[in-house]
Amino acid sequence: MGRFYDKMMGRGFLVQQLSITEIVGAYKKSFLGLTWMFVLPLLAVVIWVFLNGAGIIDPGDTGMPYPAYVLLSTSIWGFYLEAYKSTSNLLVTNGRMLIMAKVPFEPFITQKIVVHLINFIIPFLLNVIVLLFFGIRFSWWSLLFPLALVPLFCLGLAIGMFTAILRIIAVDLGTIIDEGMKLMMFLTPVVYTANVSAGYLQSIVKYNPLTYLVGLPRDVLVSGHINHIWATVVCASVSIFIFFVTYRMLIKVGRRVLERLVNN
Amino acid sequence: MEDKSVKDDNTLISVEGVSKKFCKLLKTGLYYGMVDVSKQALGLPLSTSLRPHEFWAVDNISFQVKAGEIISVIGANGSGKTTLMRLIAGIYQQDLGHIFIKEGLKVTPIFALNVGLKNEFTGLDNIKLKAAIYGMTAQELKEKLDFIIDFSELKDALQTPVGNYSSGMRARLSYATAIATEPNIFIIDEALAVGDSLFKTKCYEHLEEYVKDPDRAVLYVTNRIKKVMALAHRVLVLRKGQLIKDTNDPGSAMEYYIKDVLGDNISEELKEIKLMKVRYYEM
Repeated sequence: MGRFYDKMMGRGFLVQQLSITEIVGAYKKSFLGLTWMFVLPLLAVVIWVFLNGAGIIDPGDTGMPYPAYVLLSTSIWGFYLEAYKSTSNLLVTNGRMLIMAKVPFEPFITQKIVVHLINFIIPFLLNVIVLLFFGIRFSWWSLLFPLALVPLFCLGLAIGMFTAILRIIAVDLGTIIDEGMKLMMFLTPVVYTANVSAGYLQSIVKYNPLTYLVGLPRDVLVSGHINHIWATVVCASVSIFIFFVTYRMLIKVGRRVLERLVNN
Repeated sequence: MEDKSVKDDNTLISVEGVSKKFCKLLKTGLYYGMVDVSKQALGLPLSTSLRPHEFWAVDNISFQVKAGEIISVIGANGSGKTTLMRLIAGIYQQDLGHIFIKEGLKVTPIFALNVGLKNEFTGLDNIKLKAAIYGMTAQELKEKLDFIIDFSELKDALQTPVGNYSSGMRARLSYATAIATEPNIFIIDEALAVGDSLFKTKCYEHLEEYVKDPDRAVLYVTNRIKKVMALAHRVLVLRKGQLIKDTNDPGSAMEYYIKDVLGDNISEELKEIKLMKVRYYEM
């Protein structure tokens, strides 16, 4: 982490400018602007509630109103998926800028994290109000929610940083991981519960680490009780470890990967 | 690479036997990329010889840059000029050799002018972004902003989106922001190919004054003969990745370069005719 602090020294202005450019730039030509941040998660909830109401999916006992369960779970899943997306495009979207001068990667990674957190926090606060409307009551344990997101966040960033490398030198593998990330939502208890009745899916859910990493913040926020505590601790520890390994790898090989972006 | 092994106080950069290879074929290059990245990640040594379809973009080049020098790097297209500049700037990693830069010196390169510019943002927004990329802090930019605005002569266009800028205006913005970082080694890669004559003249005059300060030098890549003749103290001529001439006489370097570009496969008579035409149009 010493290297991280060294490389970030005096680079706060760069993080600030890159963040402003990305957030403002994303909505600069849009009439609805930041409204999209709120509209899209709620739209997803409407679709899942419709499917549930039509009897197409049987989510199992969610322990709370289904719309509230889906809203919370898809927000947590979205947090993970966006963490992945933000770092997985790091070299492709910033490649030309990174070869303009010898700029360290750390401010770019930090900026992606900052923008990701801003994009998550604003709509999530609205989601909390919606959850209250559905009768969800929070406890003091709920304050640990941000901490409970950390392992999932680390895993999303780690897979993203690894994919950032593959996106340039092994495009097909990058595409496979992209598609795999989308598929994983259906193999993780996001729109159904971990107690789903389908036998084969139950086995997948049981051995899927995302079951525990998504479940952790959801349980902490709503009940303050962590299910499968040992499986959760193991998955969280491995995720944080993988994050540090992938970060080191990106820093070590990133420059050589960029050469391929520029020269191919 | 920054290192204390630059012993001579007057030497700012020492390039020693530096080589860099690339691959001619896209998919083979990507395959080599996968191999190299895997090896590097595992801490294994990388291949230092040419594999099938690879070539030396920079081949065993050695030279030194002294304080106060304005060095022009010339050569035919694909001769390795930009690759060499990117190696010195630390953007590329060399496959062989060493580049030593006197400790504590700041290197600022300007390559493609459009890189890092956001079309939908104003000139002022882009100055902030560029300055940040070049390593300036908010306080440093605050102190230098007036200089950037004055030097770029873009005061009236600061609130205009850069997408509406001409290529010359973009050049002014990029150049003024880069020079405001007060680099010790200023690398200019064809960045002054656009822009009006008055601005270019102003830049040339500024560079001549700029290198008079201690521990400063300029390396610029161009194939514009007039510019080389007007500005360079020293000229490096590259051919197919190799340094074929290093001289303090820009005039002779240009003749050498032109003859080299014409090649050996044409008759002396035809060579002389082409040389006359180049002199007529370019000199």
